[in-house]
Amino acid sequence: MLGLIQDTGTLAQTPNEGTNFLHGLLQWLPLPEWIPDWVLVLGAVGVGVGILVGLVSVITLWSVWMERKVSGHMQCRNGPMYAGGWHGWAQTIADGIKLFQKEDMIPLGADRVLFVLSPAIVLASIFGALAALPLSYDWYFARMDLGIFTILAIGSTTTIGVIMAGWASNSKWSLYGAMREAAQVVAYEIPLGIALMVPLIALGTFSLLDASALQSGFYGMGWAIFQNPLCLPAFIIFWIAALAETKRAPFDLPEAESELVAGFLTEFSGIRWSFFFMEEYAAMFLMSVVGAVFFFGGFESPVTYALRSLGMEGTIVFSLVCFTTLVLKAFIGVFLMMWLRWTLPRVRIDQVMTMGYKYLTPLALVCVLCAAIWEAFLHLVLN
Amino acid sequence: MDFNAIAEHLSVANVPGLLSVDLPRPPDKKTKDKGRSGLPHVCVDPACMVEFLTFCRDDEALGFEVLIDLSASDPSVDDENLWILIQLLSVRHRHRLGIKSLLPKSALSMPSSTRVYRAAQWHERECMEMFGVTFEGHPDPRNMLLPDDWPGYPMRKDYEFPKEYHGISCE
Amino acid sequence: MTSPTETSATEDEHKPSIRPADEVRILASGEREFFMDVATSDLEINMGPQHPATHGVMRVLLRTDGELVTGAQPHLGYLHRCAEKIGESVEWLQYLPYTDRYDYLSAMNNNLSYSLAVEALMPELEIPRRGTMIRMICAELNRIASHLVAFGTYGLDIGAFTPFFYAFREREWIQALFEKICGARLTYSYIRIGGVFNDTPPGWLREVADFCDVFEGKWQEYYDLLIENHIFVQRTANVGVITAEMAYDFGLTGPMLRGSGVDFDLRRDMPYLEYGQAHDAGAFGVPLGTGEKGTLGDCWDRTQVRMKEMIECLGIVRWCLEQIEPGPIIGNVPRVIKVPPGEAYVGIENPRGELGHYLHSDGGKIATRCRVRAPSFVNLAVLEDLMPGSLLADAVAIIGATDIVVGETDR
Repeated sequence: MLGLIQDTGTLAQTPNEGTNFLHGLLQWLPLPEWIPDWVLVLGAVGVGVGILVGLVSVITLWSVWMERKVSGHMQCRNGPMYAGGWHGWAQTIADGIKLFQKEDMIPLGADRVLFVLSPAIVLASIFGALAALPLSYDWYFARMDLGIFTILAIGSTTTIGVIMAGWASNSKWSLYGAMREAAQVVAYEIPLGIALMVPLIALGTFSLLDASALQSGFYGMGWAIFQNPLCLPAFIIFWIAALAETKRAPFDLPEAESELVAGFLTEFSGIRWSFFFMEEYAAMFLMSVVGAVFFFGGFESPVTYALRSLGMEGTIVFSLVCFTTLVLKAFIGVFLMMWLRWTLPRVRIDQVMTMGYKYLTPLALVCVLCAAIWEAFLHLVLN
Repeated sequence: MDFNAIAEHLSVANVPGLLSVDLPRPPDKKTKDKGRSGLPHVCVDPACMVEFLTFCRDDEALGFEVLIDLSASDPSVDDENLWILIQLLSVRHRHRLGIKSLLPKSALSMPSSTRVYRAAQWHERECMEMFGVTFEGHPDPRNMLLPDDWPGYPMRKDYEFPKEYHGISCE
Repeated sequence: MTSPTETSATEDEHKPSIRPADEVRILASGEREFFMDVATSDLEINMGPQHPATHGVMRVLLRTDGELVTGAQPHLGYLHRCAEKIGESVEWLQYLPYTDRYDYLSAMNNNLSYSLAVEALMPELEIPRRGTMIRMICAELNRIASHLVAFGTYGLDIGAFTPFFYAFREREWIQALFEKICGARLTYSYIRIGGVFNDTPPGWLREVADFCDVFEGKWQEYYDLLIENHIFVQRTANVGVITAEMAYDFGLTGPMLRGSGVDFDLRRDMPYLEYGQAHDAGAFGVPLGTGEKGTLGDCWDRTQVRMKEMIECLGIVRWCLEQIEPGPIIGNVPRVIKVPPGEAYVGIENPRGELGHYLHSDGGKIATRCRVRAPSFVNLAVLEDLMPGSLLADAVAIIGATDIVVGETDR
């Protein structure tokens, strides 16, 4: 994880920068000579996976606690107050332990293989998507030139897991949830991708690191949403599509609690359920990070501008500040998602599909067209 | 209209099925009559119930658009009749009518009023399972509240509670 | 669309329903369905008896074609507690706690209906005015509490989780008031034959007045938060439309009838207690459905009628608070009541519709027949005709707008 950006202006385009991490680690550790290379590679990968899993777990832990506190206070009550002492911060940990020791139930007549596989697939795909996220300019798992493309592609495989879950449960209500999920998520992939094209046009790159670096002007406030006027409607479309992708209210039909008992999740209990739960919060975080990076500057803020002008680029402090900025922006997005969930009622499936296909997609296409025209116009004028 | 005016109107129009009128009366020591308190009702022949209700619904002056209640009563074990009790309401004229029909327990059947008021459908289902009345022409004569295989007619006065049901003790 | 007879006949046979090639369905949006000559069978799915949206233990057997409901059949009896049979074996006053438990959300109104029916059989019994005033206050506060539950749980059904908590905050206050006056929070047995059994504790009337003032402000918040919310309107407008003729035919009363635009309220049109005087003094009006968001008689209209009724209840409560005077609260009722022989049917305006008791007495301590005309039972019948043709999510919306309490449906 020790790839380098040489300086602010030029961006290192060395391919296979990821191997630097291995070399750096291997040079640093005093390992005996006789250990074969493939063991070292596996070990390095294992360390990376461990960090990723740890990160995702902490994010989920924090998000769940935040959700319970946010929902509680919005509903004029306190939320967790007891577990761990101060405002129940250890509530999620306690819940995790409880879920871990629950009986593993597979319903009679359920397709065992699919039932067991579906939480794994769902979690694996979201981990894959999160692996493409950089944590700072110097901290990333793999340097990808097509970062956002990878994220969207791998992230959409969660749908397969959900449909498998609904089908394998051998319950008609779960099947409803799975079918709704299939229709809804596939429908909203389109406006999600198209709306994301607007900042891509404005910034000109697929890579998250480069996109963030390109928003560092104007004292750290040169965010994409200020660079191109079409980015604002694009962000709104992106946000609505992100809510639909992560199955959050007002689009939480696949697991509509009051209609379908728990939708595709009905038959899952204990650890299996907690996998789906983790996936939901990880996906929320992922969408918020994507939104933050492409619309709201990613790592950039006036603080990073100040640090950069002090010449502290490349230091650990700088990386930490970048990381904190990104995580803060992501969690504001997550808070917004939670706020919407507890305020708005649920939309009906045919209204969801109507909105996705008939309104958001054409609107997103128009936004892209106008953004392209704007960029071309700017190019003409400035040249 | 108050009850007397309604009863007058019904008898003047010669509605099929109208038998008599039952009004409250004070107790009379001379005839050892305990009296009857409460609210009045008309007595109707059960065989002509459909025509009677159709008249009540379609007549302009009466205008009973709403069937409020259709139920039955078993007055006592010795009584040879079962009572069918119907309550009608007129929304536009703001008046009510109570109707009572006497059905002999030996011949517990009468035509179904579902054609006149859709509301009767569920009420008649409950009567059928609770009292054993047969409503001819009822489109959906399943049990309403009781399980499909419940023995007997619970609301009758001579009903014996079963000792067990499918192996579950009812004591 | 399948009629009830077809549904019941084919319920037990698992034959696929092959549609004839020339039968074309018109969907809810008005479009013709694109039809392929493929033999499919509709999915028969069970909603309940344990289901978050059926408001209690009730089973609705649905036949669906994808998300489109093609048949619905309510199955009742899961909460049947033989209230009517019990009425024939306990004394008149001992039956009162059973009345609490049919529509447990509006127990005061149930007590009132039963007490009025018994009092109709006892013409010499005089109810003192203070008793009448307290009865009216309690009945109207209970109506507000019941409508708050309807509002909150309807929000839950539609997917809005927060208004439920807000509604229950006000409801807790009402329940605390009731606890002060009679000791119970849900099933009160407070309004008894002849009046009420306990006088108001000191400060209770002042607290009721405070509640009225606070509630008006909160009501506006709830109205704007949920009822005027665009997503809620989209989910409930044009859904489950009941025309006035259909409402008459099915015997609907209460907000179900008023939501279809029919101007009828038992409190104003066939008054009991002193509602007539309250209405003449301008204390309350009768809100009606107007069809402003969609069609007249849709779910939104019914919900809106319930919301507006809460404000009208405040008017009645305030009028009673002005009119109430010190005095006795219960009439001259003996310890063991013997009702003179007779029959009477008395119906009052329950939050759900007309709750009526038909009582037959033979002069003794125990009733000969105690028939309960439960509004939820009658209102539920309309589901068989409303659900086919709507989507699954609409089915939930329709059940919620019917506002049934299964205790009353089954008795």
